[in-house]
Amino acid sequence: MRGNMAKTKQTGQKLNKKPMNLRLRPWLIILPTLVVTLGILYPFYQAVFYSLTDYSLKKPVWHFVGLKNWLEMFKGVNFWHSLWVTVKYTIAALVVEMGLGLVIALSLNRKDNLFTRILKVVLIFPLMVSPVIATLLFKLMTNSSVGVVERFLNLFGVYGFPWTADSSTALFSVILIDTWVYTPFVLLLILAGLQGLPKSPYESAMIDGGSAWFTFKTLTLPLLKPVILITLIFRLCAAIQEFSIIYSTTKGGPGDTLMNLSLSAYRDAFTYSSIGKAVPQILVLWVIINFISSKLVKAWLKAKSANNG
Amino acid sequence: MYQNKSRFAKVLGIASTVFLVIYTIFSVFPLIWMVIISFKSDVDMFKTLFIFKPTLDNFRNVLTTGNYVKAFGDNFIICSGAVLVSVIVGVPAAYALARYNFKRKETVAFTILSFKFAPEILIIIPLFAIFQKLHLYDTYFGMIWIYQFIGLPLLIWVLRGYFEDIPVEMERAAELDGYSWFEVFFKMLIPLIRPGLVAAALLTFIFCWNNFTFGLMLCGFNIQTITVSALTYIATDTIHYGQMAVASLIAIAPEIVLCLCIQKHLVRGLSFGAVKG
Amino acid sequence: MARIRLDHVTKKYGSITALKDVSIDVKDNEFYVIFGPAGAGKTSVLNLIAGISDPEEGDILFDDAYMNYVEPRERDVAMVFENYALYPHKTVYENIASSMRTKKYRQPEEVVDREVKRVAAMMNISELLERKPTQASNGQRQRIALGRALVRNPNVFLMDEPLAHLDAKLRNSMRKELKSMQEAFHTTTIYVTHDYTEAMSLGDRIAVIHEGSICQVGTGNEVYYLPETEFVAKLFGDCEINILKGCVTEEKGRTGIRLPYGEEVYPVPDDVGERLQCAGVKDVDIGFRGWAIDYSREPRKGYVRGKIYTHEPLGNKVELTVSLGDDMIRFIVHVDERFEIDEAIYLHFNMDKGIFFHSETKEYLVRHNEEVMRGGGKNG
Repeated sequence: MRGNMAKTKQTGQKLNKKPMNLRLRPWLIILPTLVVTLGILYPFYQAVFYSLTDYSLKKPVWHFVGLKNWLEMFKGVNFWHSLWVTVKYTIAALVVEMGLGLVIALSLNRKDNLFTRILKVVLIFPLMVSPVIATLLFKLMTNSSVGVVERFLNLFGVYGFPWTADSSTALFSVILIDTWVYTPFVLLLILAGLQGLPKSPYESAMIDGGSAWFTFKTLTLPLLKPVILITLIFRLCAAIQEFSIIYSTTKGGPGDTLMNLSLSAYRDAFTYSSIGKAVPQILVLWVIINFISSKLVKAWLKAKSANNG
Repeated sequence: MYQNKSRFAKVLGIASTVFLVIYTIFSVFPLIWMVIISFKSDVDMFKTLFIFKPTLDNFRNVLTTGNYVKAFGDNFIICSGAVLVSVIVGVPAAYALARYNFKRKETVAFTILSFKFAPEILIIIPLFAIFQKLHLYDTYFGMIWIYQFIGLPLLIWVLRGYFEDIPVEMERAAELDGYSWFEVFFKMLIPLIRPGLVAAALLTFIFCWNNFTFGLMLCGFNIQTITVSALTYIATDTIHYGQMAVASLIAIAPEIVLCLCIQKHLVRGLSFGAVKG
Repeated sequence: MARIRLDHVTKKYGSITALKDVSIDVKDNEFYVIFGPAGAGKTSVLNLIAGISDPEEGDILFDDAYMNYVEPRERDVAMVFENYALYPHKTVYENIASSMRTKKYRQPEEVVDREVKRVAAMMNISELLERKPTQASNGQRQRIALGRALVRNPNVFLMDEPLAHLDAKLRNSMRKELKSMQEAFHTTTIYVTHDYTEAMSLGDRIAVIHEGSICQVGTGNEVYYLPETEFVAKLFGDCEINILKGCVTEEKGRTGIRLPYGEEVYPVPDDVGERLQCAGVKDVDIGFRGWAIDYSREPRKGYVRGKIYTHEPLGNKVELTVSLGDDMIRFIVHVDERFEIDEAIYLHFNMDKGIFFHSETKEYLVRHNEEVMRGGGKNG
């Protein structure tokens, strides 16, 4: 019975090259990706082009204006103010979220019991909440007439805390929302990293009798470095262009307290209809993101190979 | 020496537990409170904090008046479509990145990931003009096209790790067994990456669901996304706080359900090659 | 059921040349062993035959058909991969049945069932059929992989170290099973191993491969008794062959060898002497396997004095290492004799059992009774 299987049909002629369909296969596989990639690259080049024109959403004609938009931007005050807001926001968000995320992840990882297992799921929930919805919740909670936080503060004699209404507390308020939404992201990635740590170095460290701090400093931290870096990349790139939270709280206000580059570009493009003025700001943002993230990715690859090697 | 260490460990243990409890309250209480007040009538809202007579009026109002239900539906269509496109495009791309060796592969891989980092507004501004020219503004097609960029880079990166974990010999063995390339792909590879695929697809769905900027700037009259729609509950000087809570609850509910479905795969999915196996 | 040929094949991976100008000719129904150290290019040969990779130069032929660039699935070969390459999401039964359920090799389900059960019984994995491969031990996985290949009736079986992960006892019995199976099925088999006993016991012929080139192709006896190079000689045998430096002398028409441990000249058999004279070499390397060395604990004529360096008990025998001049001589002795480290011992090298190599090219020159040895020695 074994002999009745179909035999391969063999031709005598010799193939000198890989058949066309085989050579094309890798290209066919990545073709869809190439198509959609072009779909995103074209708008990008379009954007660069717009920055050299006085293109507006309201006027039917546009003119080529050279570097006028760029020069005006660098000369003006608004751009530098927006850049400063962007930097402030990014640093504040990153420091708080990375620190908090790391500490919580380590605390959760110390013991494996029902409590920590439930927390590992529950603490991720805020990440699932859209920043806009988070803002909505924040507004509800801090509302001076019905907000539960307001009532809670009343207990301490604080009435009508201004939150986003005052320029002195606005940044603190949006960072609070940002922290609520994005700390779980840091937590999630670092937990993943902790789970993947090899066990044997810890066993030998325990035999050597190293203190908890020493183990953390010499083992956990270096081993976690790739994860920390990738988390930092993601958070940095999101925080530096944060739009949703600020837009849905104050649209950049009060005044221009929270007017970061994203919001400033949005305002120029859609409120003032001047795309030529909006695009340079966002291109600067893009250059900054690209510069920092490429440096961080290099560090990440290096840390990763150092751990594997 | 040992005494010292255990005392230190004990203090550390208590401190970390206290810290965890405080953070958990910070993290979870807003969600619980949202659920509570969504059942509160406008009258009870000002008078009570936790004890009141629950009512479904808020739900009735949000679901019957206004266009929140339509926004929910629109959002669902756009996100599902975007996830579908991301999967169709991303799975082969992830396979190619895992299996084929070509020059500057890591650069290509990073470029794909960097789309995730690029400022959304940079893309939106020219897209706004392009969309209007091509009559894609405020259409499902246009929204799906742009939404699939949200999750695609992540999907590719997650699945690349899964493909890399499958020994290439298994594919070869299947080919030698007589399977065609398509059969190998769909009968051998897809079942093996399925946990990652499901997790990544759901994660992509969540990212799309949460997106605000695209919905704000690229549609508005025919189509409204749920995040943009929810914002109208802040903007209008409403005193229907209960309805705000219901709107939030409705927007969040699908995501919490998804989160519970994928939480097992979430950690693995987001490990970016740091965790193997 | 096909003759398999590689014709001057060169395979490169990037800048690394895995195989250079390799030609092999596997006869129909032959059990052909490819033997060599790790990284020699053994698996590359199988990959080329299976169509997993394509050669940069040269041709691959099945019978008289050129197979270059023919897709793997069109070649009708069955392969056992070193890392098993099982389908983790399918049961053991489905793994073994998989080829018979493809469009290409479709069989009716009752045939599938019968064949799977037959092969499973043969591989002794019948009780695993409903499990997933992840629930099997490494040895079991290897047998599943073997089963998946053996259920087919292909042009050629390609086996990449299929017994490597089995324990010694199982390996012995599987080896016998494979041999008898191959004899019954009449299917061309190309078998890769780094285990010389496997190579010798299974192979109709053995191709010794090193750094991407074939060093020698021959029967087990040929590669063992008549190795073409010192390198091949070193690969076979329980304890590595001892290579001594010798000086060819001639006295009254008789050729002899002087070893570096004294002035004594050892006469060589006539057939060896003639060949050495013809070749006109002055210095030779002589390979002595353990059993070509006699020892004595007392001084005797023709024996040279050495000192015991180590003795390593190996169950029923002991491997003795003796330091002699600058050399270390290894051979096997009986376990019932007691030896002390640093004890004096006297060795005698049987020139009629030595293998003579050129001292510079390290290539084979001659040995006593070549033709007898080719058919199988009476010793060893």
